This record gives sequence, structure tokens and C-alpha cells, in this order.
Amino acid sequence: MYKCDSKKDIYLPLPATVGKVQPMTKYESFFSCQLDSGEELGHMPGQFVEVSIPGIGEAPISVSSSPTRKGSFEMVIRKVGNVSKALHGLAAGDKLFIRGPFGTSFPVDEAMKGKDIIFVCGGIGIVPVRSAIQYVLDNRDDYGRVIILFGAKTPHDRLFIEELDKWREEKNVTFLETVDHRDENWSGPEGVITTLLPLVKVDKDNTVAVVCGPPIMYKFVIIVLLEAGLREDQIYLSLERNMKCGVGKCGHCQISNIYVCQDGPVFRFSDITDIEEAL
Amino acid sequence: MSKLKVAFFDFACCEGCQLQIYNLEEEILDLLELVEPVEWREAMSDQSDDYDVAIIEGSITRIEDEKRLKAIRENAKILIALGSCATTGGVNKLKNNFEVQDVKEYVYGKDADMPHLDTYPTKAVNEVVKVNYMVHGCPINIKEFSYIVRCLAIGKEPKIPDYSVCVECKMKENVCRFEYGEICLGPITRAGCDAKCPSSGMWCFGCRGFVDNPNVNAAEDVMAEYGKTLDDLRGKMLLFGSKQEY
Amino acid sequence: MTVKKLKKAAFDKWVAACIGNQRVFGVQAKEDRFVFAPLANAGDLRLDYDVTILPPKKYFLPPRETLLKFDRKEGFESVFDSQPFVLFGVHPYDMVAISQTDKLFAMDQYDTHYFDRRQKATIVACDVQNASKEVFAGCMGTATVDDGFDILITKIDSEYLVDIRTEKGQALADTIKDAEDADEMSLKLRKLVWADNTKLLQKHKLNVRPDVLPRLLDRSYEHPVWEEKAQRCFSCGSCNLVCPTCYCFDVRDDVEWSLQKGQRYRVWDGCLLSEFAAVAGGHNFRRNRADRYRHRYYRKGKYIPEKIGEVACVGCGRCITACTANIANPVEVYNKLVDEGK
Ligand code: SF4
Ligand code: SF4
Ligand code: SF4
Ligand code: SF4
Ligand code: SF4
Ligand code: FES
Repeated sequence: MYKCDSKKDIYLPLPATVGKVQPMTKYESFFSCQLDSGEELGHMPGQFVEVSIPGIGEAPISVSSSPTRKGSFEMVIRKVGNVSKALHGLAAGDKLFIRGPFGTSFPVDEAMKGKDIIFVCGGIGIVPVRSAIQYVLDNRDDYGRVIILFGAKTPHDRLFIEELDKWREEKNVTFLETVDHRDENWSGPEGVITTLLPLVKVDKDNTVAVVCGPPIMYKFVIIVLLEAGLREDQIYLSLERNMKCGVGKCGHCQISNIYVCQDGPVFRFSDITDIEEAL
Repeated sequence: MSKLKVAFFDFACCEGCQLQIYNLEEEILDLLELVEPVEWREAMSDQSDDYDVAIIEGSITRIEDEKRLKAIRENAKILIALGSCATTGGVNKLKNNFEVQDVKEYVYGKDADMPHLDTYPTKAVNEVVKVNYMVHGCPINIKEFSYIVRCLAIGKEPKIPDYSVCVECKMKENVCRFEYGEICLGPITRAGCDAKCPSSGMWCFGCRGFVDNPNVNAAEDVMAEYGKTLDDLRGKMLLFGSKQEY
Repeated sequence: MTVKKLKKAAFDKWVAACIGNQRVFGVQAKEDRFVFAPLANAGDLRLDYDVTILPPKKYFLPPRETLLKFDRKEGFESVFDSQPFVLFGVHPYDMVAISQTDKLFAMDQYDTHYFDRRQKATIVACDVQNASKEVFAGCMGTATVDDGFDILITKIDSEYLVDIRTEKGQALADTIKDAEDADEMSLKLRKLVWADNTKLLQKHKLNVRPDVLPRLLDRSYEHPVWEEKAQRCFSCGSCNLVCPTCYCFDVRDDVEWSLQKGQRYRVWDGCLLSEFAAVAGGHNFRRNRADRYRHRYYRKGKYIPEKIGEVACVGCGRCITACTANIANPVEVYNKLVDEGK
């Protein structure tokens, strides 16, 4: 039998405190939190945590801030289930409980280093990717060109509005965005996110793409990136599944032979092209 | 936290499900810490229109019932259907297998056409108004009812199983009724009763209604393998599966 | 360590002594079938059983297991409340399944809840005396077992060979009286039992070596058998729940009436159940019955083997019996893939 000295209970969530809550859209709210232990969360961009409210349950949530920004970690919570609804009822000073961080991260210190980076985010796909964007901007000299493409359904669904403007103004960042359906207050482009891709020139051999968005978006974005000359191993994406335990035991997140909670949520596209059920 | 104001209403049924609630015994005091009954014919004489939660027991079998139910729905923030009669139409739907007039004559004989005995084909509560929560079963499983009340009290959507009775039956390590050559409706019936019947040596007769996507065709197919006919299965499904929507 | 030989009377006395000294769960009759249950009398132990309804995994991963208790203000606390116990009568195929589950619960992240129970168990395995009607352990290499247990019992004629392998086993065997060391002859006979069992436990014949299954499945994803069989699937999950190598679970919270305190617990789940791969918000990644039906065969024959190097079907045949639709036989399905791949 396997012996292990670990006494650590992998299912035990640790207390954290909400520092700030801010509604972002009708369904999404922004949370900034700190572990009560005073320690940093210790995550890398792209990883997720399991957030608990005792009595309500637990839900997987991506960390949206970069570990380069110390002192707290940030999440965007979309009201979809019991836990996220209860989280929306929290205010600054309230407690929540955290396990993690779990899973793989965007290769900010490996494959992405020294390369041009193109971030392609659809809707709430911006949430985990923001962590990587912040990380790259905080270590700007380590990377080549930085291109950020963002697409939302409507102007009301745009997240991190102020930060989007900052990126737009940043000198050594190319930022483009679009909405699927415009309204009277929107003067920017209208159309799906793939319409932005032809507008930027990518150095196909020297670029890494980071893609995140709703399931339907991946297929189209990947086709366009491949047409632009990127190889499958230059594309990274983040997948969503039903993550219960976060530690590779419960089986819920399994797609073919991979466990999204451990082998993902961030995957190199070339590693999952053969995997049925992935996209 | 202020208590939830609850009103109980009964329609066509045996009131056996309410009885389960009294059977909570000591726990009923815990329940009353969370809810305040404002109308409960079986337990109190007061009547009130001021309630948050309406608990409906029984099926809808008359035009007047329908009007009364719609008025209750208007008044209630949350409406709960209690027991098979309310959630699926239950045994009351048996009569929908026949012509209404035949049923009336069979039950009431020469009084069949008296106005106060007027009846129409049975409806489940959600065939008339929107239902927020269903407490399935004939009778209900009081543990599940208690769980639902506690969920409402802490603001959480209760999780009602959408898997079959077999799941709970297997956890209890019962010998499957099929091994005795009996037909059991467990595979297509919604769990949540802790497999009460198979655990006491009976086949499941489907009182909690079908799971959301029951494979009824498969059930019919499978009968042949057990040397049974479709009619055997339909006979079993009659009691609770009559004209059930799925 | 040592192999002892006991006559029936001495064996029964030893079982009685075990019961007197500790908590023992042993195989017993339940109606027409067998189950592991708390053992009160040595006479109730039925080592001549064919197969139990549920595998012994229920003692390591109970159908419902409290992981944590919580106070809604204070937070969570781990719950470890199991007591030492002896498991009497584990068949070789189930022993192999336990060892596999050990690997999976230790891998990458160590599951202290599982191992708290696992380490408190003394396992007395026993060679099969009567083959069940659906067993095919003989094809899976699991009709006999050489490790994982603390003691292995083999019945030879009217005598019992008690093979003591670990210190835990030795501690349990300390109460054995009137035993001699097994002689050469008995050990030879035991080898014959093993050889026989490998042949006898083949009520279904797999037409391919188990280690070829991953490659077979590699090319069978689009095979019509999934759709065809799944048409009759109830999504009842019975094939998952009775399987000794299935270990998926769901995690839930429930509060007490006070609404302040409560428990977080895990319950058995199954990949055949309709909501298994659904995420909050409603999207279901395996909405079709056929996708879920196929997943089980891939998990047993490809995904788990890729993780631990062993096929995750030990041939106990329980799923075959449990499936009321009669579509859960792994041998039938895998053989179909072999035949039609030619
Ligand atoms: S569901 Fe059954 S127990 Fe409940 S009221 Fe109707 S008939 Fe009676
Ligand atoms: S007895 Fe009925 S509920 Fe139980 S496993 Fe068999 S078919 Fe399912
Ligand atoms: S086993 Fe079937 S008939 Fe019995 S209580 Fe449960 S759902 Fe109703
Ligand atoms: S798949 Fe079936 S035969 Fe194989 S181990 Fe599981 S229950 Fe036993
Ligand atoms: S036991 Fe049979 S019917 Fe039930 S889920 Fe498994 S394959 Fe489908
Ligand atoms: S979330 Fe449990 S295995 Fe991945």
C-alpha cells in the first residue's frame, strides 16, 4: 500500500477575507480577497481556486490577478449556481474559504518568454487571461510585442472597463476590441472576435497565442490562428469543466484521459488536438 | 433572520404527506424555528393570506380548484408541490386512463352528474401554475422535505436527484428485484426516497415520478429479456406513471 | 512470512477469536446473494461465496462519507473518525481493485480521508471457492493475487492454508491455535487451485490480451456499438456503483436545523448518470447517453491504464449482473471491437 507522510487534508478550505466587492455587469462581480494566514495565494496566471461558502458548497473560480501584484488576489464571479449567488451576497470584511491554487498555468516564464504574445479573449475568457496580461505587463521587458484582442457580446458585457482603456493607451501594447452586437453608446467595431485577427500582423514563428472564451469560440479562433501560420504548439488555451475536487480524484472534470483540474485548465493546443471531447 | 411564513393548502389527496410532517416529532420544533405556519387546516384553525411560501398538497381535479390554486400562486413568493398527487398527479391520474363520465358513474353511481361532484381529468400542480420546488413521493420522504426547507432558509437551491432509484438501491446493497424475475420501475424513477421499497423487499412502483429523461423505450425493450411483455410493464406503470408528462 | 495449515475447527476458532478482539467485517449471505457485513458469529462467515453485491470499496470509500464539518461563521474542520477493522474474505479480483484504488488516491495528491480508512484495515483475502455466473477474472489476470493483502486464505479439501504476509497479518494470526506449518504437498495443491481458478473464472472470454485494450480503444471511438447499446441504457449508474474500480464522487453540504453547523460529505457518483459532466450554468459536456456509456469503457480500458499501467476492469462481473438492461458486459463490448476491427 502507498504510504505517505502527508497529513494535509486536500479537501480542507482555508479562511480568507473579502477586501473589496464591486459589481461589474448584471451577472459578474469583482472580488479582491486575502488569505487570513497573511500568506500570498502563491498562484501562477491561469490557475484556479475552489471557493467555499460553508453550507452552500464549493465552486471552481479562476484567479484573475497576477501574482506580481502582491497583498491580495482577485476573482470575477459570475452568478450561475448556488455558490456564486451566495458569494454575490458578501461584502467587504466577510469570510469565504479557499482551496488551491490548482491546475496548470499559462507558460509566462517558459514558452512565452522573449516571444510576441497575442491574447485572444471572448467574454468572461478575459478573467483568467487578465492574470497573464498583468504578469506580462509587469515584466514587460521579458516579452516582444504584446497584442490584446477582446470581444464581448454587447457593450454591457465588457469587463474591467477601466483596465481595457489603460491597455488601449499603453504605448507598447496593441489593443483591439469588438462587440457582437452594438448599441447607441458604442462607437467601436461590431462583429465576432475573429474579425479582429486579420487587423493585426503576427510574426508567425515568434508568437505565442493565449486563447480563452466560451466553448464555441475556440474552434473559430484556432482556425484563424493556424491560417495565420501559427503552429499548434504556439497556441495555449484554458478549458472549462465541472471541477468538483480540483485534485484529480472525483472524476467530474475528466475529458478522455486528462483531468482538466490537474492537466489543465491551461493546455497547449498541440497536446489536446487528438483528444476527443476536448473542444 | 425572520421566519418564513408558510401556508398549507390541500386539494385532491389523502393528506398523507402532511401527516409525514407531523411525524417529524421532536424535529418539528426545529422546523418551527425556521417557519411560521399561517394557514394549516390540519393543525390550526387560523387562516391568513399573508405568506411567503405556499405548500400545495394534492392534485387538481375541478375547475374551482384551478381558480383557487391560481389565487394562491398570486399570493405566494414560493410555491412548493408536496407529494406525488401534486408533483405528477400521482394515483389520481389513474382515472385519466378512462372517460371522465365513465369514472363518475363508476364512483358515484346515479349521483354522477350532481354539480358538487363535478370533476375533470386530473392535473398535477405544475400543469396549472408555476411550481418552484417539488417534494416528490407518495408519501414524501420527510428527510428530503426537511432538507428543502433548510436550503430555502439559507438561500440555496436544493438539489433534487435527477438520477434513478437504482443509485440509492445499490448504495443500500439490496438484491435487485429483477434477479427475482420481478419488474421494478427503479431504473426510470427519480431517486430521493433512499430506495424505500426495494430496501424492504418490494419493487419500486415509481411513486416519485420519472427522472427528467427516462428511457421508457428501453424499459419496454428490456421487458422481453425478462420474459415479460409490454403489458406487464404498462400494468406496473399505471399506478403512478399514468399520463405522466416527461 | 509463514503459511499455516488449519483444520476446519481450528479455523473457526481463530475467526471467533478475531471477532472477539476487534471489529470484523466478513462475507455473509443476504437473501440469495452475498455481502460484506459486520460479522457477529464465525458461523456466519461464508468463504464459499461467489461474489458480493457491492465490492469491499465501501469500507474505504463509503457511499456517503463526511469529509469536513463546518460552522458557518468559523469555517471548516477535517473529520477523521474511522476505527481499525478487519476485512475477512476479499477475493483476489477485489484485492487487485483495492490496490489500484490505492494508487489512484495516492497519486499526485494524497487523499488522507481514503488512507485513514485504508491504513486501519487488515485485509484477509481468500481464494475463490465458487465461481459466480458472470465472473471473467481469469481473462484479466486477477483470478489470483500475490500482494496487497495481509493474509491469504486458500481452502484445500477440508483444510485452510493461512498465508501470513505482513506484520498486521501476523498480529491477527497470533490467536491461531492448533496449526502446523504448511507442508510441501499443500503448497503444491495451492498452486493447482490457482491454476484451476484462472481457468474456472472465465465465464466470459475476452478475445484479446487485456494490455491490448488501450490500443484497441484508440481506434474505436466512432464504433457503432456505443450508440447501439446506449439506446437501451437507463443511465441508472448501477454499472458504476457496483464496480470495485469506480471511485468517482460528488461533494455536497448539508446544514443542521440550527443552520449554523453542518457537514461537507462525499457520495458515490457515476459517469453514466446524466448530470455527471454538467457545469454550473447548465452546459453538459456529456449530454448524450452514448457518450456517457462509452466513457466507462474508455475509463476502464484506456484512461486509467494510461495513468497506472493496469486495466481498470478486474473481471468481477458485477456490472453484468447489475445492469437491468443487460448491456454492461465489458467482454461482450470489447470483443465486438476486436471482431469488427478485423
Ligand atoms: S402523494 Fe400519496 S401520501 Fe401524499 S397526499 Fe397524495 S396520496 Fe397521500
Ligand atoms: S431493485 Fe429496482 S431500484 Fe433496485 S437496483 Fe433493481 S431495478 Fe434498480
Ligand atoms: S422505491 Fe419507488 S415506489 Fe418506493 S418510495 Fe421510492 S420511488 Fe416510491
Ligand atoms: S467493469 Fe464490471 S466486471 Fe469490470 S471490474 Fe467493474 S464491475 Fe467488475
Ligand atoms: S447499469 Fe446498464 S442501464 Fe444502468 S447505466 Fe449502466 S449500462 Fe446503463
Ligand atoms: S475536479 Fe475532481 S477530478 Fe478534476
